[in-house]
Amino acid sequence: MSYKVTEEGNISTVHLDGEIDMDVTEKAKEIIMPLIEAKKEVHLNLKEVQYMDSSGISVLIESHQKATELGTKVVLKEISKSVLKVIMMAKLEQILNLD
Amino acid sequence: MNVAIKSITEQRDFVVSSSSLKEVRSFSREVFEKVNINQDLKDELVLAIAEAAQNIVKHAYQGEDTDDKMEIKISLENGQLEIGFFDKGRPVEEKNVRHRKIDDIKPGGLGTFFIQQIMDAVVFKEGEKPWINHLVLTKNLNV
Repeated sequence: MSYKVTEEGNISTVHLDGEIDMDVTEKAKEIIMPLIEAKKEVHLNLKEVQYMDSSGISVLIESHQKATELGTKVVLKEISKSVLKVIMMAKLEQILNLD
Repeated sequence: MNVAIKSITEQRDFVVSSSSLKEVRSFSREVFEKVNINQDLKDELVLAIAEAAQNIVKHAYQGEDTDDKMEIKISLENGQLEIGFFDKGRPVEEKNVRHRKIDDIKPGGLGTFFIQQIMDAVVFKEGEKPWINHLVLTKNLNV
């Protein structure tokens, strides 16, 4: 997994690239959580994520819950077909902020 | 569904580690490339296999570093897919393997739910020596 972060005002966009599994979830959290803790609105661009498993979905849930707790939000952008399928399999399309 | 290859059996060993999950997916994709099923189903089967392998790392070995190997065996016979997982970790008790309630939104517990969604059957067996656990996932690909 690789990533790029861009900032615009109070919005931080994290562009994730590659496969997100148990082996990279700690790294993903290290990137995303400090932005949420800084009360940024975090956009996760998932266009280039070709694979995500239950560990990756857990990162999305944890990020969403942390953001809600701190009065900000995480928005999922340009979700790839394979990631959307897993989000729907987990029945989270109504819970997470999908754009 | 017309499954092109009537019979296939492939197995491979992997070090029990989260860093092996990528190799597990590559192996699974290589095998399913030989089978005439649609890409969505291939992706689902790869996910189920990777989740089961992840459960071995997470639960049978509780994330501990080890040199132990796990074995994954994919067999297809007349459209009946059977995937076997063998490991030497802590014995898994089937009654303790439960996915979380799907409306209970919290991180974790989703892997088992995905496996059950994708496969027709999930059976835990006691492994024959030298194995401790033997998990069998099955799915009929003829439907």
